[in-house]
Amino acid sequence: MTTTERHPIRSAEAAAKQVSPSTAPKKRKRISTAEKKRRRAGWLMITPSVIHVGLWTLIPVIATFYLSFTDYGIFAAPKWIWFDNYVEMFNDAVFMQSIGNTVWYTFWTVPVSMAVAVVVAVLLNQGLKLQKFYRTAFFLPQVTATVAIAMVWLWIFNPQYGLLNAMLETLGLPGQAWLVDPQWALPAVILVGAWQGIGIKMLIYIAALQNIDESLYEAASLDGASSIRKFFSITVPMLKPATFFVFIISIIGAFQVFDQIYVLTDGGPANATTMMTYEVYRSAFQEFRMGMASAQSVVLFAFLLFVTLISRRVTKEED
Amino acid sequence: MTLPTIKALAISEQVTVVPRKRWFHHAKGRQAALINVALILGSITMLVPFLWMVLTSLKSPAELAQFPPTFLPQEWMFSNYAATLDAAPFGLYFRNSFVIATTHTLITVVLGSMAGYALARIYFKGREAIFLAFIAMLMIPTYTKIVPQFLLVKFMPLFGGNDILGQGGSGWLDTWWALIIPGGLSASAIFLFRQFYLSLPKDLEEAARIDGLGEFRIFSQIYTPLIKPAIATVGLLTFQESWNNFLWPLLVTTSSDLRVIQVGLAVFQQLDNTQWQYLMAGTTMATVPMVVLFIFAQKYFIQGFTNAGIK
Repeated sequence: MTTTERHPIRSAEAAAKQVSPSTAPKKRKRISTAEKKRRRAGWLMITPSVIHVGLWTLIPVIATFYLSFTDYGIFAAPKWIWFDNYVEMFNDAVFMQSIGNTVWYTFWTVPVSMAVAVVVAVLLNQGLKLQKFYRTAFFLPQVTATVAIAMVWLWIFNPQYGLLNAMLETLGLPGQAWLVDPQWALPAVILVGAWQGIGIKMLIYIAALQNIDESLYEAASLDGASSIRKFFSITVPMLKPATFFVFIISIIGAFQVFDQIYVLTDGGPANATTMMTYEVYRSAFQEFRMGMASAQSVVLFAFLLFVTLISRRVTKEED
Repeated sequence: MTLPTIKALAISEQVTVVPRKRWFHHAKGRQAALINVALILGSITMLVPFLWMVLTSLKSPAELAQFPPTFLPQEWMFSNYAATLDAAPFGLYFRNSFVIATTHTLITVVLGSMAGYALARIYFKGREAIFLAFIAMLMIPTYTKIVPQFLLVKFMPLFGGNDILGQGGSGWLDTWWALIIPGGLSASAIFLFRQFYLSLPKDLEEAARIDGLGEFRIFSQIYTPLIKPAIATVGLLTFQESWNNFLWPLLVTTSSDLRVIQVGLAVFQQLDNTQWQYLMAGTTMATVPMVVLFIFAQKYFIQGFTNAGIK
C-alpha cells in the first residue's frame, strides 16, 4: 500500500482547489456539488459501521478502564475505589497463578506448534501429490470449534476408557489421570492447544515460502548444498519476517485461551489450569465483581499491548 | 464505456499468476517417500481425534466401557444419532446457530463492504481519523470489552422491561438481539474489505462517473462485483467465527430456546457426562457443517486466514 494509493481522491481534490475561482468559476462549482454528493455518500456508507464499532468496541474499552477503578456488583452503582482492585488482584494467589499458567501455556504451545508448522510447511511446499489432503488435515482443527474439539479431547483423556491411556499401555507406559491430576492437567491442555494451533501457522508459512526466490535454491544446488543445509541457510533466514508475524499473533491468541479450559478442566484441579481469561470470566459472571473483572482484563490487555509494542519496535528496526 | 469493458480492464490489472516454488526439483524417490511417510503420520495425528469422535458416536454404551477401547464399533449404532436428538434439542441448537451465523454474515458483508468502500475510495473529511480508529479497535482483545458489552446488553434502555435509563429489567439478555447485534460486525472485516477495494484500479470510477453513475451505484454495480472472491472470503470467515463462538452466547442467554450448538454441547456435557456416545454424536453434528464448508471452499478460507492473520 503506497501513500499515493491511499489518497487518490484527496490529491485530485487538491488539484481542483488550485484552479483559481476567477479563471474557472463555473467548473469549480460543478466539481464541488459532485464532490459534496460523494462525501455525503461516503458518510452514509460508513455511519452504520461507525455506530456499531463505537457502541460495541470503543465505549466498552473506555468503560473497562473506568470500571477497573470501581467496586461494582451490577445491583448498586459503581463505587470509585482507586487502585484497590489492582492491589487485591496482585495479592491474590489464584490470579497470580493464572498469570503463571497463561505464560507457561504460551511458552509451550507457541514454539511447539510453530516448529511443527514450519517443518510441515516446508515439506508441503514441494509439490507432493497428496499436498491438498495433507494441508486439509493439518488445517481442519483450526476451522472446527474449540468447544467441539475440546469435547473430543475430553474423551481421549478419559482416565478409564480414554484412547490416550490405551495407546500408552500398548507402548508399555503408565496411563495418567490427565485432567484430574494437578501435575498433568496443564500439560494436557497445552497438548490440545499446540495440536490445534498448527494449521494457521502452517498456512502463513506456506504463503511466505511461495515468496522465496527459487534461484537462491538453484544457486545453492550448484554449489552442492544438501537439503538440510539449504533449509538452515536459505529457508530459515528468508522466513524470518513470517516467523516474527506468526510468533506475535500466536502469543496474542494463546493469551486469550478460554473455550478449551472451560470444557476440559474448568480451571482445575486446584487451579492448575486457570488462565487470566478464566479469572476474568469467574470474577465477572460467577462472583459478579464487574470492577475486579475489568481490572483483570486491563492487566491482560497490558500484556498484549506490551507484546504488540515490542513487535512494532523490532519490525521497525528490521526495516 | 460499457460495463463488460470496465470489468475486463479491472481483471487484467488484477490477475497475477504466482508459479509454485519448490526448493528442489529432482526429489529423489527415497526422499519423497520419507517425506510422505512423515506427512501421513502427521495427518493421522491431526485426524485421529475427528475419527475417534465419529467412531465413538456409533458405539454402544457397553462397548464404551471396555478397556482397552475397541477401534471400530462392534455394532454400528446409527440409532445413537436419533437418541441424541431426543436427549437434547440439538436440532434447535443447530437452527439457532445457523440463523445467527447467517445473519452475522449478511450484516458483515453489507455494512462491512460499504464501510470498506467508503474508506478506500471516497474522500471525505474525517476519513483518516475513522480509519485510524478502526485500526486501533482491531487490536482490542475480546476480554477487554466483554464485561461492558455484557452490561450494555443488560442495561439496554426500553428493552426487556428496562426503563429509559436501562434500569429495572433484563434488557437484551436472553433475546435474539443480544446474540445478533453486538457480534454482527467487526473492525477486521471492514479492514479486509478496505484492502480489497483499494486494490482495484481508479479508471473504473472515473469512467463510471463520466457515465453519470452515483456513488452507491458505482459501489454496488461496478466495484463490488469485482471483489466477489473477497466477499466469499470475509463471509466464510464471519460464518465460521460466528458458528464456533462460545463465550458470548454462553453469557447472554439462559433459556434453552436460544441456545446455540456450542453452548448446547457444553451444557449437555455438564448434565450427563457419562453418555459419551451421545456427546460425541452431538459434537459430530456441530462439527460437520464447518468441515464440509471448509472442504468445498478451502481456497477462500485459506485466502482469508493468510490475509487476515490478525484475529
